[in-house]
Amino acid sequence: MNCEEFVNSGLASAAAAGPETAAAREHLRTCPECAALYARLLELRGELRELGKASTQAATPSRVEMRLRQEFRTRHKTDKNRDRAVVAGWMLAAATMVLAAGSMVVWQQRQGNHVNPTPAPVSVSAVANGPELGGTLIAASDDEQFALIPGALPGLQDETSVVRVQMQRGALGALGLSVNDEQASDIVQVDLLLDTDGQPQAYRLAESTD
Amino acid sequence: MQIESQERDDVLLKRSAKGDEEAFTLLYRRNQAQIYRFALRMTGRAWAAEEIVQDVFMTLVREPKKFDPTRGPLAAFLYGIARNRVMKHLERQPREFSLEYRSGDNGTSEIEVPDERTPAHWAELHERRDCVRAAVLSLPLEFRETVVLCELEEMSYEEAATVLQCPVGTVRSRLHRSRALLLAKLEMLRNAPKRANAGY
Repeated sequence: MNCEEFVNSGLASAAAAGPETAAAREHLRTCPECAALYARLLELRGELRELGKASTQAATPSRVEMRLRQEFRTRHKTDKNRDRAVVAGWMLAAATMVLAAGSMVVWQQRQGNHVNPTPAPVSVSAVANGPELGGTLIAASDDEQFALIPGALPGLQDETSVVRVQMQRGALGALGLSVNDEQASDIVQVDLLLDTDGQPQAYRLAESTD
Repeated sequence: MQIESQERDDVLLKRSAKGDEEAFTLLYRRNQAQIYRFALRMTGRAWAAEEIVQDVFMTLVREPKKFDPTRGPLAAFLYGIARNRVMKHLERQPREFSLEYRSGDNGTSEIEVPDERTPAHWAELHERRDCVRAAVLSLPLEFRETVVLCELEEMSYEEAATVLQCPVGTVRSRLHRSRALLLAKLEMLRNAPKRANAGY
């Protein structure tokens, strides 16, 4: 082994665990320069070990731990609050959905009520066979009730309107009512109950103008 | 809840991520000293080492999911973050080395063992130690960290390779080269006062 080989390989192994190889040991015996280099290397390792030992007990100041724990607490407290906010948000959204669904059901029920009429705001009495005006009708209007016009469906829609008109009694025949010919020219006031389409559904004889 | 001291780092980290402060504290106490020593020996400054340790564990608090146990132990992960912080610190700092950590950290970094030797002997010892420290701090970064881990921290080549994320052979060759560089630098540092006295 020459000096270069010793420096490149032998020195490393020598530094690691002493001159292990016979060649390195032999070279150390015969070469004072490499022996001196090896001695300096051993000295360096000793000094490095000393330096390492000198700071073995070094530790982070306790204030760092305090700062970190504070940060840890703050962070996890914030996370918990964020989680709570998320849960609250979801609950709010769910409540809104339930409310919306409830509103939808109520609205649909109301829509259904339009199709299947329930008791109407205005009471109507059905007149079975088209009573003759001047007789039965007067009695019907006495108790302030409307009588259904023949052909109209029983029951009334929510949105109805009452229109008071003045007409000859004979014109009531156009609504399907039977009119006494003798009184056909009389002027009468009639309250007509109109549905949303403007079609008369029921009538009430208000009072005669003559 | 009492935590067993032998509990694995990754298990502690999982608990810590769920908000278990005791787990985090144990994790910190278990690992802080080696990271601090590494940072101190790499930067030569106690305040910088303190900052680096804080950064490293702050990362653990903020992003615990960054650690992947399949890629190595937690200590190696922490060393990895510390190495990055050291590099950033050294990039910011002017190219000079500090001897601060001789008595750094409120005088606790270095434990002096009193003995019967004379003050002159202690002065010489300190001088020699300062020279070695200065020589280590003047090494290029990759050589410095190899010396710090293998010589000062007395890690095995395999452990150092895990921390440095390089093959064992690379650690070995870097260490060999580092020793040669250190010998040259020490010779230069020790001869400098002699040359100055001789009027060079």
